[in-house]
Amino acid sequence: MNAKANKNQVTSIEPAYYQAITEAIRKEAVQILKDETVVGVVGYLPGRRKGTASPALVTTVEEAEKLIFSPACVNNLSVYLTKAKKGVLKQGKVGIVAKGCDMRALAGLMTESQLQREDLFIIGVVCPGVYGFGVERTGTLTEANIARKCRECTVHMPEGSDVAAGTHTELADLTPEEAEEMARIEAMPQAERWAFWKEHFSRCIRCMACRQVCPFCYCEQCLCDKNRPQAVESSPRPAGNMAWHLVRAMHLAGRCGGCAECERVCPMDIPLNLLNRRMAQELKELYDFEAGLTPVEKGPLNEYKENDDQSFIK
Amino acid sequence: MHAEHIKHDFEPKIVAFVCTWCTYAGADLAGTSRMQYPSNVRVLKFPCTGRIDPVFILRAFQKGADGVLVSGCHPGDCHYMAGNFHARRRFAAFRALLSFVGVDLNRLQFSWVSAAEGGKWVDVVTELTERVRTMGPMPEFKELEHEEQWSTFAGASVDKSTVLNSPELKEAYDSIG
Ligand code: SF4
Ligand code: SF4
Ligand code: SF4
Ligand code: SF4
Repeated sequence: MNAKANKNQVTSIEPAYYQAITEAIRKEAVQILKDETVVGVVGYLPGRRKGTASPALVTTVEEAEKLIFSPACVNNLSVYLTKAKKGVLKQGKVGIVAKGCDMRALAGLMTESQLQREDLFIIGVVCPGVYGFGVERTGTLTEANIARKCRECTVHMPEGSDVAAGTHTELADLTPEEAEEMARIEAMPQAERWAFWKEHFSRCIRCMACRQVCPFCYCEQCLCDKNRPQAVESSPRPAGNMAWHLVRAMHLAGRCGGCAECERVCPMDIPLNLLNRRMAQELKELYDFEAGLTPVEKGPLNEYKENDDQSFIK
Repeated sequence: MHAEHIKHDFEPKIVAFVCTWCTYAGADLAGTSRMQYPSNVRVLKFPCTGRIDPVFILRAFQKGADGVLVSGCHPGDCHYMAGNFHARRRFAAFRALLSFVGVDLNRLQFSWVSAAEGGKWVDVVTELTERVRTMGPMPEFKELEHEEQWSTFAGASVDKSTVLNSPELKEAYDSIG
């Protein structure tokens, strides 16, 4: 791996590249823990099985020296700040390792006043990509095992982070699978689109993993858990599933950062990110909004302009 | 002035979600002015179009509506200043989502009807009712309500139509309801 500052297109990304990021993260994490800039760092530790990584909150220098970054670091850690480890923010500033797509979630959460920039020390990763689901984890990232979302990534550079680890390197000539799939669905006749989604949604077992993993699904009580009155049937039946998926897509519209975590954790392989992307595309077309790396005043569905399009209204 | 009552083969169910300040008053005006409009429409009153959650629309379709109308104050006339502006964006997004999953948007109408526009209310409701009438019943969501998903292996080559519809299961299921 060379250390050229401008972007560098390659056909495979070797373990050495990730090793260099790992070193940089460790150095930074150790430093900010030592000088007490932060009370802890949310990052990745090696998983118990080879080729895996697991999210962790490290609070000591010894632990920080074990932090890693590899293509197995798929998780979007920002979820640890709004949900699982929410309490940690109260104790002081927190460091967090963030890839570009994770930083979009952090920015969105700042927009929604769930996080404050000054409470975070963001260790950005100049991320070339992570593993897709069910692929061979060889240590080297190639076109064959890269995640679908990474094929169309526009945020390899984590701009706006406090420090950035890595040099800009990305895989060359990736086909935009998701965009192609979206175009394919759009081109279907309406009845076929319905059949396509009906089949997908009918498989949903309502495990709610997609909600639990989403940094933006931080509601104390989810609409879909309410039963008085019940808005969405809670058992995994076709009717409730359809409603759940439409509600989920609507609730994330204009907020979703596109980390595709919901799709990754879905045990039933439901292509949730296609819905997210379709909504993002619509909000871009209508209101010129795109989830970015920096917070904005208000999300697109929380603001309005007097001259917004109303051609569909009589 | 009684319009002749025409008998149709299909009477669509239309659910109208309206805001109390403008459209409800407009519909009221149509009534007190003795204007005729299809009795297919069931009016549900809300404080504001901003209070009308997309999930209400889904629910209406699930429970048997063939068409849905959402109507409120004209932009700038919202009793709460900006409720209808927010609703406008939300429903624009929701339409895109429905279309993406394959719902015919002709069954869903949005309109601004002020308290003085009894005539417009009649037009909007009549047009939607007649449009939906020619489209026929909306089966998609209703069918889902009556479907069960008996577990099958994902991707297994089981013929779902037999798995889902064995006479025994069907009988058992029907006897529940
Ligand atoms: S989408 Fe971009 S930033 Fe996110 S994991 Fe993939 S390559 Fe990295
Ligand atoms: S993770 Fe998948 S199966 Fe579970 S609730 Fe979400 S969509 Fe359904
Ligand atoms: S699905 Fe909606 S209500 Fe439920 S947690 Fe997510 S954003 Fe909140
Ligand atoms: S909806 Fe999915 S892709 Fe979007 S932020 Fe949530 S987990 Fe990430």
